[in-house]
Amino acid sequence: MLMGSKTTFKVRQIVPDMKEKMLNYSMLHRKCRDKFGLRCLPGECVLQRAVLVRKKLSAVEGGGWLAGTLFCTHFRVAFVPQDSEKPDDNADPVLLGDHDVALASIEKVVAVGPSRTKLVTANSSLKFTPEELVLYCRDLRVLCFLFDRLTPETQAVEITYAIAKTYQPLKPGSILSFQNAALGSVEMRQFLSNRTPDSQMKLFDCEADWDGELERTGATDWRVSTINDRFEMATSLPRFNVVPQKVLDTELKKTFAHFNEGRIPRWCWRHPCGSDLLRTASFQNNIYHEKDDIRNLEAIVFGSHQQCVVVELGEEMATLVDVQLAHTRLRALCLGDISASAYVPDDRWLSTLENTRWLDHIRCCLKKAAEVACLLRAGQLTVILQEPEDRDMNCVVSSLVQVMSDPYCRTVLGFQGLIQKEWVMVGHHFLSRANYYRDSDKEEAPLFLLFLDCVWQLWAQCPTRFQFTGDYLLALHDSAHLPLFSTFLFNCQRDRSRPSQRLPQSYTPVNGCWREATPPDSTQDPLDPLFPAVWDWALQYSPQRRAQFSQPLTNSGPVHSVLNGNLNTTPHYHKPNDSTLGSVFLLSRGSFTSPSHLLPWRIGGGSGGSYRKSHRRAPSSESLSGLERLQKACLLPESCRGHSEPQELLPQLLGPCVGIWRECYLRGALQAQAYSHPASVPSHHPLDRLAQEVQQLRDRLAAAAVAGSRAKKQEPHRANVNLNQNANGGTFLFSAPRVSVARAPPPTSALPALAPRDAGKRTFLFGQSQDGRPDLRYAPMPSSRLSKKKGSSLAS
Amino acid sequence: MLSTLSGSGAKPAKPSFVSYVTPEEINQTERECSRKEKHPDLLPGEVIFCSAGPILKSTKDDLFQRGVYGTLLCTNFRVSFVSDEAPSDEEATQLFKNKLYGENDIPLTCVDHIYGGFDDKKKLIVSGFVKNKYPSKIIVCCRDLRLFHFSLAYAKEEDAKKIFQGIVYHCLEPKSLKCVFAYSYGEKTLLNKENQTKPKTVMFATLEDWAQEMKRTKGNCKLVPNNADFSVSAKLPQYFIVPTHVTEEDLTKFDGKGIPIWCWSHHSGCALFKMASLPLMQEDASSQLYKSHVEGMLNAVAQTHLYSVKTEELSDSLPTVQDIQQSYSKFKQFFLLDNTNDFWMTDVKWFSSLEGSGWLDIIRQCLAKAVEVVECLEKENTNVLIMEEEGSDLCCVISSLVQLMFDPYYRTLGGFQSLIQKEWVVGGHRFLDRCNHLRQKDKEQSQAPVFLLFLECVWQLQQQYPPAFQFSETYLTVLSDSVDVSVFSTFLFNSPHHMATISKAALEPGQRSPVSWPTVWDWSVQFDSRAQDLFINPLYAERSRQDKPPRKTHRPKHQRHQSLPSSAFKFSPSAKKGFLKDETDSLKKMLRVKRLSRWMNSPDSAQASTREFFVAWQRRPLDYHGLLLPCLEGPTLRLWSQRYLRWIPEAQIFGGGSITIMKKLADLLAEVQDLRGNLDRRACRADFNHQGVVARAKSSIQLSSAFPFTMPRGRSFKPAIPTRQLRSLIMDDLADQDDEEPENLGVV
Repeated sequence: MLMGSKTTFKVRQIVPDMKEKMLNYSMLHRKCRDKFGLRCLPGECVLQRAVLVRKKLSAVEGGGWLAGTLFCTHFRVAFVPQDSEKPDDNADPVLLGDHDVALASIEKVVAVGPSRTKLVTANSSLKFTPEELVLYCRDLRVLCFLFDRLTPETQAVEITYAIAKTYQPLKPGSILSFQNAALGSVEMRQFLSNRTPDSQMKLFDCEADWDGELERTGATDWRVSTINDRFEMATSLPRFNVVPQKVLDTELKKTFAHFNEGRIPRWCWRHPCGSDLLRTASFQNNIYHEKDDIRNLEAIVFGSHQQCVVVELGEEMATLVDVQLAHTRLRALCLGDISASAYVPDDRWLSTLENTRWLDHIRCCLKKAAEVACLLRAGQLTVILQEPEDRDMNCVVSSLVQVMSDPYCRTVLGFQGLIQKEWVMVGHHFLSRANYYRDSDKEEAPLFLLFLDCVWQLWAQCPTRFQFTGDYLLALHDSAHLPLFSTFLFNCQRDRSRPSQRLPQSYTPVNGCWREATPPDSTQDPLDPLFPAVWDWALQYSPQRRAQFSQPLTNSGPVHSVLNGNLNTTPHYHKPNDSTLGSVFLLSRGSFTSPSHLLPWRIGGGSGGSYRKSHRRAPSSESLSGLERLQKACLLPESCRGHSEPQELLPQLLGPCVGIWRECYLRGALQAQAYSHPASVPSHHPLDRLAQEVQQLRDRLAAAAVAGSRAKKQEPHRANVNLNQNANGGTFLFSAPRVSVARAPPPTSALPALAPRDAGKRTFLFGQSQDGRPDLRYAPMPSSRLSKKKGSSLAS
Repeated sequence: MLSTLSGSGAKPAKPSFVSYVTPEEINQTERECSRKEKHPDLLPGEVIFCSAGPILKSTKDDLFQRGVYGTLLCTNFRVSFVSDEAPSDEEATQLFKNKLYGENDIPLTCVDHIYGGFDDKKKLIVSGFVKNKYPSKIIVCCRDLRLFHFSLAYAKEEDAKKIFQGIVYHCLEPKSLKCVFAYSYGEKTLLNKENQTKPKTVMFATLEDWAQEMKRTKGNCKLVPNNADFSVSAKLPQYFIVPTHVTEEDLTKFDGKGIPIWCWSHHSGCALFKMASLPLMQEDASSQLYKSHVEGMLNAVAQTHLYSVKTEELSDSLPTVQDIQQSYSKFKQFFLLDNTNDFWMTDVKWFSSLEGSGWLDIIRQCLAKAVEVVECLEKENTNVLIMEEEGSDLCCVISSLVQLMFDPYYRTLGGFQSLIQKEWVVGGHRFLDRCNHLRQKDKEQSQAPVFLLFLECVWQLQQQYPPAFQFSETYLTVLSDSVDVSVFSTFLFNSPHHMATISKAALEPGQRSPVSWPTVWDWSVQFDSRAQDLFINPLYAERSRQDKPPRKTHRPKHQRHQSLPSSAFKFSPSAKKGFLKDETDSLKKMLRVKRLSRWMNSPDSAQASTREFFVAWQRRPLDYHGLLLPCLEGPTLRLWSQRYLRWIPEAQIFGGGSITIMKKLADLLAEVQDLRGNLDRRACRADFNHQGVVARAKSSIQLSSAFPFTMPRGRSFKPAIPTRQLRSLIMDDLADQDDEEPENLGVV
């Protein structure tokens, strides 16, 4: 069985001659930067090189073999195809080319000889000349390089050694040197610090982003509290937390002690129906609750509503160990074991898949999230997700709920913001769960990957309702295995701001600034690399790949601007007085209870006379499989319901409806590669082609229109305007143009800015309905610029 | 059209129609019908046997176990439920309406099982169930996997008994072929049968069709016209093609057995033949005779191309017909679930139970065998002769699959229909016995969904290479349903000879012309043209003019098989090492330990050679109009979800599924056309509008993954619980309640 974290590798110092070699090469590469066609990063040096190598292309890449040169630097294994065009020296550095793999994501190196295969480690010696080199990666890719007969034997052997010696997955120091190799150079630091952040992207590390989110969702009775600005209240919480308006900071201070790790209930999202989603760690039972405290506690728990449902995630969901085990098994199933060459026979594949229980865990998460989404939909509730630590399953469920219920979260920007908000800022243990340094084996659990798989399931069921594609999810999945991004390298926000010594005192908030990448103080340790955020996709992927991140066709349903926040969808029937206390229910195992221990202070406190031992059986007239029914009711199409509400994207979770993420898990499987024809891999080709054709035809039509109007000498300008509008109207192929909605959500309308230039047009046509809206009052520049451009091109 | 027709149709008797119901009964039912004025739109020739009401049909797709009251009728064509409620005429549901039977109708031949509900106990009703007792509930399982629950509790006892017995009688009792509805339907629709507008399907009923086919594939075999009146053999089609060296005498020797029938010629010249094998008995005189005959036949086959032939006895390596039936009946149980709870129960073990049925594995084996045959034809350029006892079951599956993989013509709609006509209908697949529509006891053994198995294999291929097929998944599903509608001549007979005798017999009463049954290929009988649009795959990559026909880009190494014919044709397995690869079936292993042991050392090499072949094919750029090889790995074989999950509301993805992409593609295509049209018009007129686009900008949220078979439709209920539960929980005054221990409410 392939157990990534369990394999041990002997650690060995980089041999001296290799250091020499590094130096030599680095000298060399100053002079001629791309002698062999490899475009090195600043400071990167080539350790070894092998010519006349062929790389096996995966089915997605088109299959077959690609001839070129193989390099091993101390950052990556790079492959430069023979006939690739000369790299542009002035272009921005890209960390990894399309055919490269970072050393840190390599898990195993296997050399295939004429008669045998051998797992090559740092101190193993090869007794044969490898004909084939297979690299197993952590992100489930398998790269296969074939040495030609003409490849000098020494080169083949040497490069195998070089890779085996430098990748060293288990040594903490090696990660550091890896990071330094990638980002440590002065040029790289300069480059990174000069990167202009995407101003539309919400990182949720400043007050404005939270304010924006409150405004977008229309949660007017909540405010952003800066009480944890110096991480004094709770070390793992972000600087900014959203709490009810009516609770003052001074009152708030006292509540921290009542919760595990001081993680008080915090607002994370408001459903358009007016319900609020909160998340919290478990209550501390052993603390005496003063009367004043209780009032504050209740105020925090209930927020602006009378009822509160606590969703306890601790007991029903898979534990970390379960998830880790399932993932390990899944890896073993999908990759097979090269050394044993034991594959699961075809007729046992399905049951083996079932036995991994990975799909069960996915279903469990999706189910829970669907339940919560339905619950929120009921309106006027406060739903609190509770987990002992509030840093694992809470992240999964709360973000899934938002993906299901909030169309904005299904756009690229919205999704990234969501991950920032629900994972990065609240302190998911990215570092421990990913276990890059191999020092937290017990903590390792791919929860984030679990979440991505859940999203993929949603995406696979309703691909047309997402703006991003499977490619995007895949890219994110792969990046999570690369220990280079600040997003995934820290356990909480406090840690994240620590290494660069940016403490709150010297911190001056700049709106929408890329704080991670702000130029460091000159006093800083120059060896400390500057980690970029993962969202800077241009750093990792070529424009071609990034162009596939967003769908040519999205927005089958109109993006409901109910979520814009400007519509007051939450009429407050009765503002709760401070004295009236609401009722609390626990949702667990698909049913509601109101056990007494739910809010611990209510037991002992006896305050305000409102405390009541309130557990009772609900008048359940129907023997229901309640949530299933509710879900089904939600699933019914819009037309069946009286009024148009935003429709949740609820997943179907029956066995036949849940599938395996082939593009991710099976891409490495050698047998699967062998047995599927490359071109048969589902792709967007027909869609793209058609989309292009539609656009061409539109252009021609427009041109003809212009020509026609010119010929008639009939106010050419006016004609243009009309045309433009017409063209825009026509872009709403699949969405009902709702002109009644005045304001487009700013982030959505700014999407073209994210899309690469060349893809901009396509995105413009098929991407967002918001864009083309005639009313551009509130839409920021990008779209208006685009439409102007269009107009001018029409005129010309 | 049908109220008048039903009046005349209800008249008791056309002489050719054998009624099991006395005229009195019919009159009575007629009276009752007119009294209630509730009857379905009867088809021409359809007669109502009995009816009862009110019957409660419980609807599964509802949140509540709500029901619809209505009348249950049994006619000579179907069991029909007519709802008391006004029919909803949503446009969407009308779009894919089957003209022959509606959503509440069950053609008699489509009934798979009937269960009776006796006080919460479910009992399988078998034919001969003539007790006086009748159940309070009838559960009808259909072959297209629909499930109906009818409650008889509200009907008058007499009525209930009658309808129950009527349904059981007409659905389950053995009957003669003449009672099949096609007879009366064929008679009635005789006159309006001229509009066969789309005769692109080659029926292979004439000599020219076969000659044409041989010319198309450049085969060089001999067309035999002798059997036009079935004088040579009743088992063979009227016209067929054999190797040139087969003599007249050979043909008549064993009553149609042991003759290699040409199926298809590869462009290299080698060809695929199929043959009903001769029984290989022990040492006696006839066995010697057989052997020499077979030897001679093989020689004849070999001389077609390069003096090489490989033989393959399919029953050796593929599951038997009984295995197929067994596996399928296990498999379909997963989709015939009474209620949601059952579904959730099975759901936990979904994958392993799916695997346990073995259905997917049978599909895999068939595809794998077809790939092997393809390999022989393509790589080794040998003739291939596939054999089987009857020569009309798995032979049909394999040979049609091989042709489908090779020949892009068969991947068009018309071509595919021609292929089925050629290999299955004319080729003599015993449709009647395999479906056992007549419910004959002695035929129960031979019942097996062989044709469905073939469609499953095609579906797998189509899933893997969507642009290569002109027809859509929906088409395959509809085709698989049509097998069980007893209207079409295509699936009604055991062989062409059978059909000919039957239609001749039907002629006897002195009618004007022989009864003509519609073939299934006349889709207008079932669907209107708009619905037929859904049969076309929008992704189909049509071959453009400039595309060259698939070329052997790599000239196969011309290795002549120099071995002497006589030695090459041995039946001994060792001679075809590398041909037989799959010996996975453990049961068979046990049965044939002796023979298997000889291969034990070579399966690896066999697998390797197939794999090599696959890889070599994979290297070449994929040509959707060339050879297609299916991928057979564990994860790639999938469940035909449209066919099997379409009636299960729990498994439908509303507003999702691949159908939304398809729909978008279709929309985009339409828009392209629209724009093109606009552009053309633009040349003459100055103004243009986008109305067409706007009109089509319907949201695909309305669709579900089971499109077009079930539509999410307006249902009149409210979302239940737990919202309401919660509400009531909240609203009630808590103080009124006793203190109790916390307790879980609800279920699960």
